[in-house]
Amino acid sequence: MSLPCGTRNYTYAEDMAIFRTKTHWVFLACLTVLLLTLPMFLGKFWMGVANLVLITLIAATGLNLLVGYCGQLSIGHAGFIAVGAFTSAVLTTKMGMPFLVGLIGAGIVSGAVGLIFGIPSVRVKGFYLAISTIAAQFIIVWGLSHWGLTGGSAGISAKDPSIGPFEFVSDTSKYYLVLFFTVITVFAAKNMARTRVGRAFIAVRDNDLAAEVMGVNLFYYKMLAFFAGCFLAGIAGSLLAHCYYGSLSAEYFTFTESILYVAILIIGGLGTTLGPILGVIFIRVLEQLLTVQVVPALERALPMLPSGFASGIAPMLFGLVIVLFLIIEPRGLSHRWNLFKAAYRLWPFSY
Amino acid sequence: MDQLLQLTISGLAVGMVYALIGLGFVLIWKSSSVANLALGQIVLLSSWFTYGMLVQLNLPTLLGFLLVIIFALALGWVIERIALRPLIGQPILSLIAVTLGVGYFFEGLVTFVWPANSAALPRIFPTKPVQVGSAVISQEYIWIAGISLVIFLLLTAFFRYHRLGVAMRASADDQMAVQACGIPVTKVFSMSWMFSCTVAAVGGVLLSSIGMIAHGLVATGLKSFSVVILGGMDSFGGAMIAGPIIGLAESIGGGYLSAYVSGVTDIIPFVIIIIVMMIKPYGLFGETRIERI
Amino acid sequence: MKKGKLALGLSLLSLLVAVLTVFSACGTPATTTTTTPAATTTTGAGTVATGAPIKVGITTPSTGPAAEKGAPIGHGNLDAIEYINAELNGINGYKMQAVWLDSQYDPAKVVTNMKYFMDQGAVIWGTASSKEGTAAMELANRNGFPGLVSFTSPILYRPPQHVYGQLPDYGDDALAFADYYMKNVWKGRAGKPKFAVMILNNPTGFGARDAFEAKAADMGIEMVKPYYEHSDTDVSMMSALTSIKNVKPDVIYISSTPRPTALIIKEAVALGLYPGVTIASGHAGLTKVLVDTDGADVVEGVYGVFPTASWTDDVPGMAKMTEYAKRLHPGDVGNMDYITGWTQSLVMAEAIRNAVKTAGYDVVAKGDAASWKAVETQGLQTLKDYKVGGLHGPVTYVAGDNRLAKSVRVFQIKKGVITAITEWIDAPLVKYETYPWFGK
Repeated sequence: MSLPCGTRNYTYAEDMAIFRTKTHWVFLACLTVLLLTLPMFLGKFWMGVANLVLITLIAATGLNLLVGYCGQLSIGHAGFIAVGAFTSAVLTTKMGMPFLVGLIGAGIVSGAVGLIFGIPSVRVKGFYLAISTIAAQFIIVWGLSHWGLTGGSAGISAKDPSIGPFEFVSDTSKYYLVLFFTVITVFAAKNMARTRVGRAFIAVRDNDLAAEVMGVNLFYYKMLAFFAGCFLAGIAGSLLAHCYYGSLSAEYFTFTESILYVAILIIGGLGTTLGPILGVIFIRVLEQLLTVQVVPALERALPMLPSGFASGIAPMLFGLVIVLFLIIEPRGLSHRWNLFKAAYRLWPFSY
Repeated sequence: MDQLLQLTISGLAVGMVYALIGLGFVLIWKSSSVANLALGQIVLLSSWFTYGMLVQLNLPTLLGFLLVIIFALALGWVIERIALRPLIGQPILSLIAVTLGVGYFFEGLVTFVWPANSAALPRIFPTKPVQVGSAVISQEYIWIAGISLVIFLLLTAFFRYHRLGVAMRASADDQMAVQACGIPVTKVFSMSWMFSCTVAAVGGVLLSSIGMIAHGLVATGLKSFSVVILGGMDSFGGAMIAGPIIGLAESIGGGYLSAYVSGVTDIIPFVIIIIVMMIKPYGLFGETRIERI
Repeated sequence: MKKGKLALGLSLLSLLVAVLTVFSACGTPATTTTTTPAATTTTGAGTVATGAPIKVGITTPSTGPAAEKGAPIGHGNLDAIEYINAELNGINGYKMQAVWLDSQYDPAKVVTNMKYFMDQGAVIWGTASSKEGTAAMELANRNGFPGLVSFTSPILYRPPQHVYGQLPDYGDDALAFADYYMKNVWKGRAGKPKFAVMILNNPTGFGARDAFEAKAADMGIEMVKPYYEHSDTDVSMMSALTSIKNVKPDVIYISSTPRPTALIIKEAVALGLYPGVTIASGHAGLTKVLVDTDGADVVEGVYGVFPTASWTDDVPGMAKMTEYAKRLHPGDVGNMDYITGWTQSLVMAEAIRNAVKTAGYDVVAKGDAASWKAVETQGLQTLKDYKVGGLHGPVTYVAGDNRLAKSVRVFQIKKGVITAITEWIDAPLVKYETYPWFGK
């Protein structure tokens, strides 16, 4: 159904392969070339945005495992990202550990914190579960801004990442570093989703009682989803600290940001590999485009308009685009992409 | 002892404000299982609209309020008609995300129309404080508590006895079944959004008459979110009780604990929520879900 | 029917995309030329030099939680640059051009905006609030990219690096008031006055906290511990005020934004605390909105500290500022924050002028590390007794002190009018970094 006609699978491995047709391989080649040569086309600022997009993608992929595949709604993702960011900064800046230790440590600590706040998921689900994750968001951020170790209200600085003798200082070098981790993450998540674990997640999402009856260990898999999701949030947090912000304050990780992560998934498409990618690119690029292009241009071009016009237009457009996209495609951009593929393959006989 | 009394009284008063906005949230949830993330922005927008009517156009207070109510009803209708109606039958998360978009839109709209960004409403209630034993309380809070109670009673009665109220509860439960029974789901949704916006508008006007109209109202709207979760998302009574509980916890906890931990007030509600979660996962008064395969 | 809906949606969307493209299309040229005709005619003395305009990066919280202050500051910034280009001959004949971005009071956005300024070749950056300054600080210090923050907190430049305070910080406010109080109200009575401090949970509040922590004991003030923190979303301050009432302080000092400040004063009146104690506010909270919200009778007699002139003051720079504000942003006439933005641009221009004079246009205009260094060492650090039209205290750089203007005045609200009751007071330098608790 989701394959072009004439494609036959003779083995299970073939059936499960991500890249099967020639077109797939051509796309992969083009994408690889594009990703590797991206710094040649982008200015310094957009390079930074590209880093932000990739880092957000890691976090969103984690959230997708949790929400999209396993169906455990979390509205506290920014809190878990904050845990990772601060862990990494404390490990490297205060304790002098190398960057990679900070990165892995961030993932593990974040995952552990995720487990604590994930425990209620054993008893409740759906929007009620959001309770504990929202609480997590606020308690974590409050704790980080009041604890001496994390720099309290003054925040903490995070060094440029370095691996062995290589130090990643420029945005371009950071881009390749982040790209490396992002690609690994996306493929790891895809693999997790199409193996036993992923199928168990989906079973839990679709009907957890039925899954339990069929022998899926609910507690284990829900906890696993929380750990995996928050582990990736931690990794993203660490990269965010070292490769994007350079210094941290608990105020960077707001509740609005948490909500935005869920919105990214919904706009991209829940429970798909492509969804978070499309959603992240869409939201982050739109955000930046509005801030650096549209708003200043309006402020200059239309001085006769009321003074709040230029500033107000950015959130208005942002909201409007989210609403429009959801009205047109409530199942996310990746669903639209699948529809397009199907239509393309069947054209001109679309039945 | 005096201090405790004062803290209790002011905690209860603030709690009623949370409860009032919480009611607007429950209203939507009860009829469509949608979490309205734009609630804070609706509160903000309707407060500014009130400002526009009462201060900028200088209308008489009663006429102004009437227009605000009409505006809120229209607002609810428009939101439902434009943003939510096309999504009926789609995954519930998409509906929730749409309200997020609506929230951003309103936030922009407010900046757009009222760039001043903070302003004071004319005083609606007498400000002379009332003495309760050794404690004092502003009259405004007593008014607010009264108005919240009235709205609560009205809503409860409506949902229990009125045909439409029953239809609203049913459509939250199972949209398909309700449609099959010949109940117009669209009308149900539309009505619930109109009511909810009105409640939020009343809450906004009351809130900004205590403080001022400022962006902080959005966050206050979000705080009511935790109230609703504590009380159970589908229970008006829950919101009415959880509001004061959170208010009390903030006030008493803040009053006694902030001597040891500065800024602890901000997270007290959430700690309570976590504890409640461990004991009663569906909130204090929420309906426990019974599932069958 | 489904098709129709889709088509409608898609066409709406494409319309939106088209609109976006048009805007960004006019955005790109707008960053290389100044657009309004007023800016391109040069009426001031001097000759017009040819060369690309010199860019300055300005980010203000024009939307979001602090927009009540951010928007007028941003307008002031941009209007002043119009004025500089039109009537002050730009920067020694070269145009000054603002790269302005909205930050939404989101520190994460500030970081992104800073990167944009560096990418666009801005020679200096400026922002309004201490919270935003804190977010920008790391990038500024790491790259040696000098910046000017108007509402500041000691954390920004103790120890001094590449961030400069345009006006005295929230700590200076607190100490200036404490000093005034000791000399004029307490007047050497026996014992020590008790100060209770209510602060916002961000640098706005922490600045005042740090100042009291450092100097209260020396000044003979007894502090009520802990410092009462609040957030700008609190609906009521009753619980803090109730426990403050219990300790019977002489002074309640507030360092916060207008909304919480108004709430505190109102509830202090309801509790019967005020009148009785002395209430004073730092400059973040002292605005006209305070009077409008609470009513003149409630806030009567409240003290405050403010570092800029009032609109009614008769100072040389007032006429032009009023003229431009009336023409470009009439809604902001009378707004104290507008003055802050306006003067920030003036100070920036003056610093760049100095740098251009000594280092030359070619070095400065580039917007790279060398020009940042030039603007900082040959511009900002050479500022000496620049009067800013009397709109705030004179701007002088003293080595080791990154505050440029150092004077504040104490105000009191009398019959609904915020009235200056002292002359300009120079706030002394406090070396916060020598205290072990600072920045922890």
